[in-house]
Order: sequence, then C-alpha cells, then structure tokens
Amino acid sequence: MTEMLVKSGVQLVLLLLVAPLISGIVKTLKARLQTRRGPDVFQPYRDLFKLMRKGMVIPDTASWIFSVTPYIVFATATLVGLMIPMTATDAPLSLFGGVLAVVYLLALGRFFLALAGLDTGSSFGGLGSSREMTISAIAEPAMMLAIFTVALGANSTNLSEMAQAAVSQSWKFLEPSQMLAFAALFVVLIAETGRIPVDNQATHLELTMIHEAMILEYSGPYLALIELGAWIKQLVLMTLLVNTFFPFGLSSDWTVAGLGMGLVVYLGKLLGLACFIVMVETTNAKMRLFRVPELLAVAFILGALALISTFLF
Amino acid sequence: MSFIHDPEFGNRIITLMAALVLVLQIATAGQRWLISTIRLFALQSFLLASIAGIIAYFNQASHLYVAALLTLILKAWLLPLLLERLVEKVGIRQEIEPLINVPLSILISGCLTLVGYVVAESFYHPEETSVRAALGHNTLAVAISLFLIGFFTMLNRRKAVTQVLGLLFLENGLFLAAISLTYGMPMVVELGIFFDVLVAVMVLGILVFRISETFDSMDVSKLRKLRG
Repeated sequence: MTEMLVKSGVQLVLLLLVAPLISGIVKTLKARLQTRRGPDVFQPYRDLFKLMRKGMVIPDTASWIFSVTPYIVFATATLVGLMIPMTATDAPLSLFGGVLAVVYLLALGRFFLALAGLDTGSSFGGLGSSREMTISAIAEPAMMLAIFTVALGANSTNLSEMAQAAVSQSWKFLEPSQMLAFAALFVVLIAETGRIPVDNQATHLELTMIHEAMILEYSGPYLALIELGAWIKQLVLMTLLVNTFFPFGLSSDWTVAGLGMGLVVYLGKLLGLACFIVMVETTNAKMRLFRVPELLAVAFILGALALISTFLF
Repeated sequence: MSFIHDPEFGNRIITLMAALVLVLQIATAGQRWLISTIRLFALQSFLLASIAGIIAYFNQASHLYVAALLTLILKAWLLPLLLERLVEKVGIRQEIEPLINVPLSILISGCLTLVGYVVAESFYHPEETSVRAALGHNTLAVAISLFLIGFFTMLNRRKAVTQVLGLLFLENGLFLAAISLTYGMPMVVELGIFFDVLVAVMVLGILVFRISETFDSMDVSKLRKLRG
C-alpha cells in the first residue's frame, strides 16, 4: 500500500513536471523551424503560475458543470497518467485498470469539456463541442483498434503487462502490425492533442478552432487546470506511443538507478517524438474541417489492418 | 554483425517495407493532389527497389540487382519526372471529385487489402517451405492488394493522369508479386515489362495532353462525346 503511494507520488511529480516542459519544447522547436525566436521551453510553467494568481470571470449563465469541469479534466488526465508505464514497466495504478480504463477516462474528461462548452451558452462553445465530438467519434475507435493490436501481442489489456511483453521482444516494433498500429495511433495523437492538420493550438480564429473554442470562457485558475490537464493528456498519449512501440530502456524495477536511467531514455524518446510532431506540424497546412474525417478514416483503416494482420502474418 | 546474414532478419525487414508500401498505396486512395500522388508513387517504387535489392542479397540472385536498379531509375525517378512535367503542362493539379468519396474509397481499399490477404493465404504452406524460401511470402498478400487497389483507382478516378497512375500502381503490384514468388523473372521478361511500362506511360502522356487540348479537361467521362 505504502509502496503504491510512493510510486504514485514519484510518477505524479514526474507527470506534473514533464507535461508542461514537453509542450514548451514543441512550441520552441516549432518557432525555431519557422525562423522565429519563440518563447523558451519553460514558458508553460510561467503561464501556469500567472493564471493561478489571476482572478476568474464566470459567465452568469454557467451552471455547476462549468466549475466542476476543470477538476474532472485535470483529475482524469492525472489518473490516466498514473496508469501508464512512464519510466518503469509497472505503472503505480496498473491494478486499477488497463487500456479500456485509459481510453474511457480520457473520454470522460472530453465529455465534460464538451458539456462545459455548451454550458456557457456562447455560440463558440457549442461549435467547439460539436466539432470535438465529431472528431473523437472517429478517433476513439481508431485508437482502440491500434491499442488492441498491441494488447493482442501481449495477451493482456493491462498496460504494465503489455510493456513487460514489449521489453522482452525488442524486435517487435519491426512487425508490420505494430507499424500500422503506430501510424494509426500517431494520427490519433495529432487529432486528440489538437495539432495542425486537425486543429491549431496557436490560434483563436473562430472558423477553425476546436479545443480553444470549448475553453474560450475559462479564465484564471480554472483555465490553468484545463491547460495542465490538456498537457498531461498530451504527455500520456505520447508516452503510450513511445513506451508501447519502442520499449527500450524501461526499467523493470523501482530502484533509483533504474529509474534514473529509465528517465533519461524516456525523455530522449519523448524528445524524438516531439521533433517528429513538430516536423509534421510545420510541413502540413491545416485541413478543412470536413476533410478531417478523411484523415481519421485513414487512421481507422490503418488500425483495422493492424489488428487483422496480427492474425494473418 | 551476424544478423546481416540471417534470413529471419531479412524477412522482417522485407515484411516491414511491404507494409510501408501498402500504407503508401492506401494513402494514394485518399489523396486529391496529382503531384502528391505522383510523389507517393515515386516513394513506393523506391521501397520496391529496396525490397528487390534485399531479396537479391539474401538469395544470392544477382540478376535481381539489375531489376532493382531499373526500378530505381525508371519508376522512382524517370516516370515521376515525366508525369510531373505532364501535370504542369496540362495545368490541372487536383482531382476534384472521384466517383466515390474519399472516406469510402479508403474503406474500400481496406476491404480490398483483406481480399488480398485471404487470397494470398491459400498460396502459403509453411510446412513445405524452408526459412529462406519463405522470405517475403507476406509480400504476396501486399502485392495482390496493390493490384486490386490499383484497379480500384483506375475505376474510381475521372482524370486521365490518375488513371495512368492507377495503371502504374497495378504494375508495381505485379512486380512485387513476381519478385516475392519467383525471386525475379528471367531478365528478358523483366526488361520487356519495364520498357513496356515506360512506353505506355509516354504514349498515355501524349494522349492525356491531346485529351486536355481537345476537350479542355482531363475528365475521361467526357470522351463519350464525339468531336471533329
């Protein structure tokens, strides 16, 4: 029991520290690639502290959903963060649920975010919510299919056992099914974190925004919680991608040396993935909203092919 | 570096590249821009050339190196160049509306891949083949899928250039099937097919240019009308 608490504590601190950093790194790299100077990598921390100290403006029309949503978004993201292996193969809360819990906890957060967008009664909020739900309705099955492919290889839907199975077969990622699943999950990552071909985090242009439209009415500490939740969710999805498909360097126990080594490798892998995301973001133009389902249909088919090819190859 | 000579390792690499080829093929089903489709074709041909090279290396089939080199030069460089010039000359850069919309064509491509796998499964007898002979048996399924999706592209698209591209994708499928089943056909046949395709594309290129000159469009459905 205390062991689990200690592990959870360590991973919680890691989550809270690394999530804004990764977001900052992506922003800085993107700015550099576009020959801008851009903010430095620690800007998200400063934004958080500034938002925490600010006052809040809450719309008169908002109900309790508006004020409960930031906590739910933050709590579900953090809980999911404790369920996935970050630096060691066994996640602190792996006993509480596997991939299904991860997918649906994220869905719960999204559900409340969409409700909150509608709750304020502003037209932008409703627009954002409807778009978010349209996209997630296709992104979620694609994500499930991709993850099930990996789960099938490990004979378990428990993420820790999946990571252990992946560590023991290090050439696994060369298999076509794994590669197809990786491609599907990468598209889902782009869609779920609101990155460029699907959504643009850097703009508040009413015609295009999805995630930003839902949280338009939030300010102060609530906004800080939602932002932090979104960053953690992004980190969780990235971790899922690097640790299930490239499980090198995951430490098998919770010793200090193992964790240190695991952390270094983990950060390296995250940095690699971040560079890849930045490249995709800078070399692509944003899609028209009605074209987004086409991209996600590709992800869905890739996921389905991945799942089927595990039986055929 | 013992794994370099290990057929098992070669098999993994080939399977992986075949899967990449398949992904590129499905990507073309969802692609509207002609130039992007041509570049995807070039990339796919490059991967095919690599697969041929790897199979040649592991089977000591030296004539396959020639086939790989020819694929690299003709299909990954020359044909895309010719087609890109053609697209620039004609000035039509985008497939406006395929007969079946994009998400559905992607779904259909996925189903065609399944058909490919089911068909290829009956050719494979693991108990009768050695590891070396089984090298690239997975690629047959991919080859059949390429073939079917190429056909589907030809049926689905209206523009003459995309139909030419469909033919080329189909030919890529044939090439992959040939190298994965027989480790390369005799050199004469190989050369014959290559120059066949080259000439076909050149003739079709001229034809496409004529069509667009005469009808102000590359839409092949307009070819039904007679004009003097």
